Amino acid sequence: MSELWTWLAIAGVTLSTFVTRAGLLLLGERVRLPAIVDQALAYAPACALAAIVVPDLAIAGGEVRLDPGNFRLVGALAAAAVYVATRSFVATIAAGMAVFTALRLLA
Amino acid sequence: MTQTPGAVAPPPPDDPLRAAAFREGLRDMAPAVPGVFAWGLVTGVAMVQSGLTLWQALGLSAFAYAGSAQLAALPLLVGGSPVWVIFLTALMVNLRFVIYAAALRKPLGHLPWQRRLWLGYVTGDITFVIFMRRQQQVPDWPQRDSYFLGLAMANWAAWHAASIAGILLAARIPLEWGLGLAGTLALVALLIPFCLRRAAAAGVAVAAVVALATHGWPLRTGLLAAIACGVTAALFAERFQGRRIGEGAA
Repeated sequence: MSELWTWLAIAGVTLSTFVTRAGLLLLGERVRLPAIVDQALAYAPACALAAIVVPDLAIAGGEVRLDPGNFRLVGALAAAAVYVATRSFVATIAAGMAVFTALRLLA
Repeated sequence: MTQTPGAVAPPPPDDPLRAAAFREGLRDMAPAVPGVFAWGLVTGVAMVQSGLTLWQALGLSAFAYAGSAQLAALPLLVGGSPVWVIFLTALMVNLRFVIYAAALRKPLGHLPWQRRLWLGYVTGDITFVIFMRRQQQVPDWPQRDSYFLGLAMANWAAWHAASIAGILLAARIPLEWGLGLAGTLALVALLIPFCLRRAAAAGVAVAAVVALATHGWPLRTGLLAAIACGVTAALFAERFQGRRIGEGAA
């Protein structure tokens, strides 16, 4: 990745912060959102996270790997289970990394 | 919407009541600081371990100030996606803040635009939740923007301290430890609460399947297709369901 391109991408992420957080606050109450947009806004973050996280975990070496040999995926499933049980952010990451690391060292 | 008749101009910044409100904000944020710190640390480590240089990681964190969007942008940054795909992806992940901003228009809309821009920029998830709770208890408290700033600055300080610590620490951690995974696990923790509502869970499932199926698309444009399909599926699921699960629950 080239230096300039990376900084442009960083500027893009920064712009998205400003647009989403301050945009409506600057425009004020003149702007009313249609109901369908309001509903779509509620679902977009979850869908975007899923679209990022699932391929990141399930694709290894360019192909879909849903088997136990994919340690990242197994670690993430363990982390998800811990999150559901404890609702603790720190415990979730610790558990996922522990399972992933144990599998990696034992393999 | 309604202009309060006889609305007074905001008191000068050296007003002791405003300083007290600011300190109260800092205090009310304190219980959330360990969680924010862990999140910042993970983001800092993940950015460097994914291949950003020290300065790029510091720059991304300092300017973007958006943990989930930063982590979501990482695989795209490393994979060399075009800037517009990265921008749109960060925008999608950040969309929850549009909902926050819509709700903040009422309590903060009276401020000068520079202050609205700054307060908007530093809004965090927890900041928003704590502020709205207080706004319900004490509606239109005159020093509310100082209180908001106190909350936001505690969050801001904890985030940046942790993020910088993570970035500096990451250089000393071997790559094969795979600590970049911690960033993805953080996103998993963020994703799960959404899945408790049935319509959102349907959207998440569709987005995940489409994202896997379109992984080979050029420039990672499949990601945007996955988000569009997921949102559409969630909206349909909501229609068919007829009512929202969880409505009526406190």
